[in-house]
Amino acid sequence: MDFEKIKKCLFDAANEAGIEEYEIFYTADSSISAETLKDEVSAFSCGVCAGISFRCIVDGRIGMASSELFTEDEMKNLVFRAISNAKNIESDDPAIIFKGSEKYERTSMPEFTMPDAAKIKNNALELQKMTYAESEYVTEGTQSCVFAGSSTMRLMNSHGLELSNDYGIHGAYVQAVVNRDGEAEDEFELKGEIELEALSELPKKAVNNALSKLGASKIPSGKYDVIFSAKQTRSLLAVFSSAFSARSAQLGLSLLAGKEGQRIAADCITIVDDPMREGCMVQTSFDGEGVATYKKTVVEKGILNTLLYDMTTAKKAGVESTANGQRSNYSEAVSIAPYSFYILGGEKTLEQMCMGVSDGVYITAMKGLHAGADAVTGDFSIDSEGFRIRDGKICEAVKSFTVAGNFFEMMKNIEAVSSELSFGLPSGFTVLGAPDILVRKMSVAGE
Amino acid sequence: MFDKKLLEEVLATAMRSGADFAEIYAERTRNNSIRFVDGKIDRINDNFLSGVGIRAFMGTRTIYASTTDISREGLLRCAASVSDAMGEGKAQISIVLTPQKVVDIHPVKIDPSSVETKRKGDILKQACFSAKEYNEAISQVQGTLADVDHSIMVANSEGLLVEDRHVRTRIAVNAVASDGNENQSGSCSPGRGMGLEMFEIFDPSEIGIHAAKQAMVNLGAGYCKAGQMTVAIENGFGGVIFHEACGHSLEATQVGVGMSEMCGKLGQKIANEKITAIDDGTIPNAWGSVNIDDEGNPTQRNVLIENGVLKKYMIDRLGSRRMGMPMTGNSRRQGYTFEPTSRMTNTFIDNGPDKNEDIISSIEYGLYAKEMGGGSVNPLTGAFNFAVREGYMIRNGKICEAVRGASLIGTGSQILQDIDMVGQNLATGQGVCGSSSGSVPTDVGQPLIRVKSITVGGR
Repeated sequence: MDFEKIKKCLFDAANEAGIEEYEIFYTADSSISAETLKDEVSAFSCGVCAGISFRCIVDGRIGMASSELFTEDEMKNLVFRAISNAKNIESDDPAIIFKGSEKYERTSMPEFTMPDAAKIKNNALELQKMTYAESEYVTEGTQSCVFAGSSTMRLMNSHGLELSNDYGIHGAYVQAVVNRDGEAEDEFELKGEIELEALSELPKKAVNNALSKLGASKIPSGKYDVIFSAKQTRSLLAVFSSAFSARSAQLGLSLLAGKEGQRIAADCITIVDDPMREGCMVQTSFDGEGVATYKKTVVEKGILNTLLYDMTTAKKAGVESTANGQRSNYSEAVSIAPYSFYILGGEKTLEQMCMGVSDGVYITAMKGLHAGADAVTGDFSIDSEGFRIRDGKICEAVKSFTVAGNFFEMMKNIEAVSSELSFGLPSGFTVLGAPDILVRKMSVAGE
Repeated sequence: MFDKKLLEEVLATAMRSGADFAEIYAERTRNNSIRFVDGKIDRINDNFLSGVGIRAFMGTRTIYASTTDISREGLLRCAASVSDAMGEGKAQISIVLTPQKVVDIHPVKIDPSSVETKRKGDILKQACFSAKEYNEAISQVQGTLADVDHSIMVANSEGLLVEDRHVRTRIAVNAVASDGNENQSGSCSPGRGMGLEMFEIFDPSEIGIHAAKQAMVNLGAGYCKAGQMTVAIENGFGGVIFHEACGHSLEATQVGVGMSEMCGKLGQKIANEKITAIDDGTIPNAWGSVNIDDEGNPTQRNVLIENGVLKKYMIDRLGSRRMGMPMTGNSRRQGYTFEPTSRMTNTFIDNGPDKNEDIISSIEYGLYAKEMGGGSVNPLTGAFNFAVREGYMIRNGKICEAVRGASLIGTGSQILQDIDMVGQNLATGQGVCGSSSGSVPTDVGQPLIRVKSITVGGR
């Protein structure tokens, strides 16, 4: 079935059922990746996946159903299921199928072409060779991978709104395993590039970081000044970004509820949400409800300017949607999420920031955040690795300790942010960014 | 699901450039879930997945392609992309498939698709309202009731053609207790590989009350102090410790490529002799059970560790080729977009010789981890971490005040030696395990155990 036929089928079925307000949301993704082990491409995979969802309003409530099976019967069935689901909803939340924004800005995504299989395989192999060439200690289990994916999304509704977006992402990672005198360590490094010139530093970084962890010692328990690396600050942001959702706030599941206009973080913290950040591979001019997206400062010098809203939560709060009602895949219901969501960098380099620390820890890895951190309470206690900071210098590797605290308290106690802001890979349209941050007197449990 | 002749043609196409094995996996999955929040049902998810994954091997090189285009042309195009990626050549391959019947050891009594959404909603509401009504301090209750009807077909170039259907149901209740200044949460989320008859075993009200009680305990608790201590870990989801700290390191995914601390240790004593650990995908209607794995092999009961000695790894087809050992019925994947790999099913430490009361009374000062949360592990080094969802201090052999914010960290090989008492109340808890082949339902389990010394994270 081609798309026009699918659309007609769904619209006809909706009209026949007497539904006035409805919407269809279609996504089609294709992906390709190559993985190497030892000196060969051990796994190559590619995929195409398309699906569609139908949402409609029945008696003031919204129902949805979705499918990957594109047959006429299934499309009719989809409308029937969405209507039935709407009838089982009890919530009095406002149900809205959006008429459209006045104006949609243009995205400025870098040009993307889907690489062919030969290039993906070749670059993965080259990356693997470079990794092995970095050190004699690189050993079995070392993997290099190159991947790419492209997506198309289309949103159209009974008000005549028609929106579409096409984007692609690509990247590579190296998982370097090193073994020196029977002691093994590994390190994972990822970058949103696939050209070998742009990846030339990746193997070195992975191998050096893995090597630097060998011989790590334990650290005595106590209070330490802690610098979270940019990557780890991003990990914390990933867990706690849900606190910025107006839905969480309205349900009493966010400690940021009712704090708009108030101080929630230290002066040095400014957080921006940008759906069209320059150079970002995934950008969108509209959210999952069809609202035009825009750049906003969520936290300005420690003051919470706004939470993130979709249309339902905005209407309940009597404000405008911030166009954060995201859907990155056909089967997803609207859910509040940020776009490029990042803490602005400061003035000091990491090195300069360390100078102010006489006895501390530089944290470069945290594990199990999904279990050890609670977005509702802000509490976290995380298994970590890193380096001791002594007299302003990054020294020996340390491991097997937990760092614990409360995210919301910590935000207020961040003393400095470094100038080295970096971004992670996208998840949906969300891309997190952060610099290194310095927090005094955190609880560290070692031995 | 498909015409046999077409499948044979697709397999032959996938192999035409020199592959020595090919496999087709097809999936049709109905995912339904109902969400409750703020006293009302506010969302219903209703999705139908339909797609095919085609895989080919040449030695230990694998090519995988997946598609939602299940037309004849779509399947042949998908197979051609596999053979093109494998190499060049136009070998004439002839495949003859022989359909096989699956013995269903996980029968479904109340098919979720036969039950009206309203009735499912009532079950969920019963659980959630019980949590809300448990105490005035319960400020918010969220719940979901999810059912999955998952039909698969596996056909491969060895002639296997088999279909199976797997139904599972799970309810999850999360309660938040608030004293105005801070929030603490509690949860309960049982599931089974069955239909709605699950609620003949579980009273929805008790599920809600369990979550609410836990939230209240945590609200009244102080922070756990950090340090090395003796820890007693309760049964059920406490088994996540074995799943994370040891189970992942016994998967061929890791062992087959030398990425596990358990490599080359078959026959060696790797754990205290009180430990016998089992992965069993055949337990009737258990959360992690399936009749056949995602390569079409019947699941098995695999004794991984017997009296402390490593007996077996969990091995899929690729792992079998890499390691030169037989497959163990552990190949799993979330769905057709994922290439399968070795995964756990229902994995547990078996009952041991110690009486539960002796375990608690043996601890002068330590932590009683009544309920564990999730965790993660680095299989290379065995380094793991777990969150303690509900914990209490033990003093002079008695369980005392509740503590919150604790986590357990250590390494797999060390904790296996340090588990020095194993009790007798084996029970399981349900989890969703994430790995390279996606998220799959797994049971974890154990009786009450004692770890003589482990790092407790807190503050």
